[in-house]
Amino acid sequence: MEKRIVLVEDEEIIADLLERKLSEEGYKVFVAKNGEEGLAKIKEIKPDLILLDIVMPKMGGFEVMEELKRDEKLKEIPIIVISNSGQPVELNKAKELGAKDWLIKTEFDPKEVLEKVKKQIGN
Amino acid sequence: MNEESREITSEEERLALLNILEDVEEERRKAKEERDKTLAIIKNLTDGLLFFDKEERLSLINPQAERLLNVKEKEVVGKTMEELATFEPLKPFIKFLQENRKSLYKKEFQIGEDKFLEVSSVIVVSRGEKIGTLIILHDISREKIIERMKTEFVSISAHQLRTPLSAIKWILKMILDGDLGPLLKTQKEYLEKAYTSNERMINLINDLLNVSRIEEGRFLYRLEPADLRKIIEDILNTYKKEIQKKKLEVSFRKPRKFPSILLDKEKIGIAVQNLIENAIRYTPEKGKIILSLKKKNKEIEFFVKDTGIGIPKEQQARIFSKFFRAKNAVKMEPNGSGLGLFVTKKIIEAHGGKIWFESEEGKGTTFYFTLPLKLLK
Repeated sequence: MEKRIVLVEDEEIIADLLERKLSEEGYKVFVAKNGEEGLAKIKEIKPDLILLDIVMPKMGGFEVMEELKRDEKLKEIPIIVISNSGQPVELNKAKELGAKDWLIKTEFDPKEVLEKVKKQIGN
Repeated sequence: MNEESREITSEEERLALLNILEDVEEERRKAKEERDKTLAIIKNLTDGLLFFDKEERLSLINPQAERLLNVKEKEVVGKTMEELATFEPLKPFIKFLQENRKSLYKKEFQIGEDKFLEVSSVIVVSRGEKIGTLIILHDISREKIIERMKTEFVSISAHQLRTPLSAIKWILKMILDGDLGPLLKTQKEYLEKAYTSNERMINLINDLLNVSRIEEGRFLYRLEPADLRKIIEDILNTYKKEIQKKKLEVSFRKPRKFPSILLDKEKIGIAVQNLIENAIRYTPEKGKIILSLKKKNKEIEFFVKDTGIGIPKEQQARIFSKFFRAKNAVKMEPNGSGLGLFVTKKIIEAHGGKIWFESEEGKGTTFYFTLPLKLLK
């Protein structure tokens, strides 16, 4: 069965590009535009992986992570954080909250994101 | 003869004595006038002043100092430094003075939420003897607030710029990777140029962000034991292409055994990278670059020596200033933020190290830095 990913990203272009890239590789991608929507999608779909932006309207990535931590079933889903700032404070907080991996938008490109995804959940 | 002269003397003495008395009175009046004038000046100075006598007793505080420190003259005057150290409203300030006993020159002290002082101390000497210490308080709150706003502005705008730049980067990358169909050779060439320009912009923004982080005082983040040799080697490796392209002769002299040092890997990496990049950038083709790392007594020393364009003598004093670029550097390489060496210096100093250089225009430059070994635990 194809692996399912929830992508929570408010930046439309980034979300669009990632969705495309991941879909081409055979992943089923569900896009959410903010944390609130993301959390709902995650609860509904129970994906194999979450790609999560940090700074977003309505509910930020950290809040989503905190919510997920409280849920016995959902807290096991691996999360890759997509950071805009790349600031150590932010990345460390993400790690503390249990992110499996992270990437900084200006330093990575879709291909590298794909590699990170593969590393977490395989093809 | 004797008697006569004695008589004249005594008469003269009497007159002289009167004169002296008059002079003394005059002097006293003058002295008082002078004293009042000096006091008036001190009281009306825009800077706060405190004077501790040689027994470290506070003998004078002007109204500005009262206002800045939020104390009343009568509460504090006549008290010793020791006594004031237990006087609640002054506790942090006296502690700051005691910590900086050795030398205090334009040092910042935050006294309230938005209240900042620049404090200096001067030892007052009269006729070759120390009579006390003068503490000068300069209110820099306004400057600090403006500075903070400026830093925040840079930080926010740089963050805002990163988002669209990432989007551009990702789009270009996907097109270049052929994800959206095959490209013609010329299309690919131009897109690659666009990609490179975009990367340059990202780097510039990163530099700006680093500067604002430094200025916000949250730059040094995590110290961990690291092998500086490896950090330098890894960075050098990323410049292989440029080195080959410019036919530069680059060597790295390093000891076989080298201790692990506690440092912020990422930040030291930025510092080393800036120095190596400058050497490569500003050394003409077929030039020579030597990197050297060694352990010296209680510190380690690293240098990058090049046979590059050098720094003009009259511009050397400004080389570590923010946004400054030497004239010959701009001529050789128009692109550059002038932030690299500023950031590098801050990084080295935050680690307790020193940075300096030797340079001669047209011959070359050597940048040195040291890091203390006492960081090793």
